[in-house]
Amino acid sequence: MVLLTVDGIECRYGSVKVLEDVSLSVKGGDFVGILGPNGSGKTTLLKSISRILKPHKGTILLNKADIYSLKSIDVAKQLAVVPQDTSIGFNFAVLDIVLMGRNPHMKRLQMESERDMAVARKVMNLTNIWHLAERPINELSGGEKQRVIIARALAQEPKILLLDEPLTHLDIVNQLEIMDLVKDLCIEEKLIILAVFHDFNLAARYCGSAIMLKKGKIFSVGNLADVLNSENIKSVFNVDAIVTKHLVTNSIFVIPLSPQNSVTAGVLNVLDTDFETAQFLKIPVTTEAPFSPITKKTHKANLTMISEASTVVLTSVPFGDGNLQNLEAALIAVKKGIPTFVIEEVPIERRDFTGGKARALLAELKNKGAEFVKDQNELLSLLNVSVEKLKIAKEERDRLLDHLKPEKIPKEIKTKGKDKKK
Amino acid sequence: MNMDKVENTFFQRASRWKIIILLLILALIITVIISLNMGFAPIPFSDILGIIGKQIPFFDRLFDFSLVSPVNEAIVLEVRLPRIIAGVLIGAALAASGVLYQGVFKNPMADSYVLGVSAGAAVGASASILFGAGVMFFELRLIQIAAFVGAVSALFLVYNLARVGSRVPVTTLLLCGIAVNFFLFAVVSVLEIIAANRLHDIVFWLMGGYSNVYWQHIWAILPFIVIGIATAFFYVRDLNILAMGEETAHHLGVNVERSKLILLVLASLITAAAVSVCGLIGFVGLMIPHLTRLVIGPDHRILLPTSTIVGAIFLVLCDDLARVLSTFFGPMSTRDWPVGIITMLCGAPFFIFLLKKKKRSYGT
Repeated sequence: MVLLTVDGIECRYGSVKVLEDVSLSVKGGDFVGILGPNGSGKTTLLKSISRILKPHKGTILLNKADIYSLKSIDVAKQLAVVPQDTSIGFNFAVLDIVLMGRNPHMKRLQMESERDMAVARKVMNLTNIWHLAERPINELSGGEKQRVIIARALAQEPKILLLDEPLTHLDIVNQLEIMDLVKDLCIEEKLIILAVFHDFNLAARYCGSAIMLKKGKIFSVGNLADVLNSENIKSVFNVDAIVTKHLVTNSIFVIPLSPQNSVTAGVLNVLDTDFETAQFLKIPVTTEAPFSPITKKTHKANLTMISEASTVVLTSVPFGDGNLQNLEAALIAVKKGIPTFVIEEVPIERRDFTGGKARALLAELKNKGAEFVKDQNELLSLLNVSVEKLKIAKEERDRLLDHLKPEKIPKEIKTKGKDKKK
Repeated sequence: MNMDKVENTFFQRASRWKIIILLLILALIITVIISLNMGFAPIPFSDILGIIGKQIPFFDRLFDFSLVSPVNEAIVLEVRLPRIIAGVLIGAALAASGVLYQGVFKNPMADSYVLGVSAGAAVGASASILFGAGVMFFELRLIQIAAFVGAVSALFLVYNLARVGSRVPVTTLLLCGIAVNFFLFAVVSVLEIIAANRLHDIVFWLMGGYSNVYWQHIWAILPFIVIGIATAFFYVRDLNILAMGEETAHHLGVNVERSKLILLVLASLITAAAVSVCGLIGFVGLMIPHLTRLVIGPDHRILLPTSTIVGAIFLVLCDDLARVLSTFFGPMSTRDWPVGIITMLCGAPFFIFLLKKKKRSYGT
């Protein structure tokens, strides 16, 4: 079985260190995702493994032989690369290009044999490009070209396949087809797959393990589930993300939140529609198990979220003993001085199933200065107020100034909802 | 194995290639024989065949060649044949090196000018014209040796200037080549200014031609050209793969730096040998590979042999035209028209015609 060992390598471009102390060990059948932001050294790692950029320090061993001491042709029999960009000098036909993958297996002056053709045909069928065999490469679409390049790499019959963002030019169907194919080869032929991914969820779906790089160093390495968690994503990519299990594929599912997205929700019961809506909207949520009352732990988590919010919204939901704590949480928000809005579409009398406790809390909320609105539209009109609008609509400003100091309205208004969305 | 149409077509390609090469060789032989007939004194084809046949051992015992006049034999063997063979060699050399340069640089504009090889030869030749063109070494004129040395030195200079560590990136190579090229042609201009009454000779050499070539010149360049082109054949598949980009070529098992160095040295040696005899003949190195690629496709395994032969045929025909024209303008013209003028006058319009016709399929 093929073994690839990277031991403490350091790579530089001139005097700039781009990889430092990177070690990993993979064997046939491993599908390793390489994750990291732009400039973290992903491509450099692949380049040093594929002998383009010799490391300053450290060694890379292919089956215990230093890869830099081997001949190009011997390495090419075992290791194939699907590069990030593909520019082709002259207008070769697709079949010719795929057959170039047979180069390491051919002698000088030798023409392609029937076996070479059989291999080419096999990989072209796998990548679904046999019908393009005689077409000139430059007449193909980006996705078709990419499949040609992948077929060429497979025609090398490699034991190790390095993929550098292999899916960039592919549409979704092609992405899945190609990755399924690669995954099959990984399992059936015990290939080592090292692939750079930008899409966490594709990585999660196909990789068994992963390396996360940050500024040229390994930040985290191991099983995918250990590497791909929200803490790592936050520290490496500087982006908030929700990491869950996907309901259908059961693989890890990452929902990165765009930095300006600032709505959070809690406490929601998992699998409820509001929870799913929040997932769909990629909103971070505090969750509780299905059909369960809010526990102390969850309540605390909710309060933490609220304390980070700049505005809290309490929606017009029915209250029972199970979710009464959401009202208490809102009250705490008001007491902390966080602007709090209460939507009252349906009078509290008709949605209080706690024997008056909810009603009392709501009254207290009003007392302490929570702003009551009659529906979502009114809420939005209040939230959307900007300083400029205030200048234009004088009357509106006067009315609003009583409740909100305009200079205190943050540019990004965070809302905190206990939200049963209709 | 279940063969389908695509596979069949592919495997038939090898035999198709052989037929193409055979036909081109045939065309070359016919061109040579026709060219032997052309010139100031017409010599019948029967005599030409007789004279050639006489040279081939075994043949000379089979047939009776006594009817061939000794004068005609002298004209054919000592005047016309060397010139035509020189045309074959030089045309082949320029076209083959063009294929190699364009392949290595992945650039259809590349030829012997880009690495300063032609310019180096020009400096060597101009300097030798200035400081004693008549000096002979081993029956070779100084100008030939100087041009060869100049060409090889230019390559050496450019290659070392472009080196970055152990690698020689193509872009740096191109830029260094262009810079050195300009520099060397500036040197040629300086030499032209101080040349005074020898200016005419320099200008004529720069126009490119080989009207007074003898067997010894051919023997001198033959090994470089034949061995050079033959060696390049070992690297034709590398050239195909280099077209995919250097990194990809590396991944596909090509020792990129070594192949590149070997191919460039071969191309430059071939060019230097040719240029040392003929001066600067434009168009052939640049356009013949293009023209052949338009018809035959980009695969260097067939592109190199076909370009080589087409280059040979093309230059011999252009030289025929040069001879005819100089005969036509005989009394006024002191010497033969430089073939370099003809190659450009005829080749460029033909190439443009072809380009227009096959525009769609021509991607670079």
